[in-house]
Amino acid sequence: MLNPEATLRSLLDVGLDHYLVLSALLFVIGMVGVLIRKNIIVMLMGVELMLNAVNLTFVAFAHFAGNANGLVMTFFVMVIAAAEAGVGLAIAVAVFKRFKAVNIEFFENLKG
Amino acid sequence: MDVSALMFYFFAFLIVAMAVATVATPHPIYSALYLAGTMVLLAFVFIGLGAQFIGGVQLVVYAGAVMVLFVMVLMLFDLQREVQKVTAHFGQLLLKLGGASAIAGTLVGAITMSSPMVLTRPGSPGESAPVISTLDLSRMLFTEYLLAFEVLGLLLLVVAIGVVSVARMKGGTHAQS
Repeated sequence: MLNPEATLRSLLDVGLDHYLVLSALLFVIGMVGVLIRKNIIVMLMGVELMLNAVNLTFVAFAHFAGNANGLVMTFFVMVIAAAEAGVGLAIAVAVFKRFKAVNIEFFENLKG
Repeated sequence: MDVSALMFYFFAFLIVAMAVATVATPHPIYSALYLAGTMVLLAFVFIGLGAQFIGGVQLVVYAGAVMVLFVMVLMLFDLQREVQKVTAHFGQLLLKLGGASAIAGTLVGAITMSSPMVLTRPGSPGESAPVISTLDLSRMLFTEYLLAFEVLGLLLLVVAIGVVSVARMKGGTHAQS
């Protein structure tokens, strides 16, 4: 930060760190979505955003290290995330049928 | 500044903007559409990073199937109004946002401070990383990770059966019934 030319050069020379910072920002935005929103579907969307951020981390490392293990891990994460989104939405549908609401305030107690 | 850096910043800005819009917009349908846009842009970033197969899978599976599932479930609910969109107490909201900002700052600080120490590959720092292709990915998937691959197929079967059985309970799905 003391040397403006070095800072500018490090900003312009896009490397692994830039992708990792983008991934960290996406992860935190997804986490904020899960924390502050009360609609259960939007909370699931926040979880999907977090999983996408992790995928970006894996793909960035795979590219900059020349290692295909990162891509394999990304593939697995994608499959599991799709399955988990399906299960989460099925649970949301079942909860909606029971409570007629998707706002989590209405089913904060475990007794149903 | 070369083209790839420009493209990175363009996509990064759009991705962060759409992610914030996903979380902040009050209508869940708009949220779902912004998330689909984020995933499409992420697929472009993956293709730019040389992972063309993963980019294609991201487009087909995430933006094409998962987000369509979200939108279908939202259409099924037919919500007329949102009772409470975000956390009620302002103090709690501030605490959550402050905690999230602290985590973001810690992560970004850790990434930037450890960047000269990160050793991503063996060998001299001067040589460039080997280019990986879909062939490498598929070779690994069918030799080293074959068991995990097959178990994943089994998991998808179990999840499909489970989803159908969980969502099959009696009851109407309209908000007014």
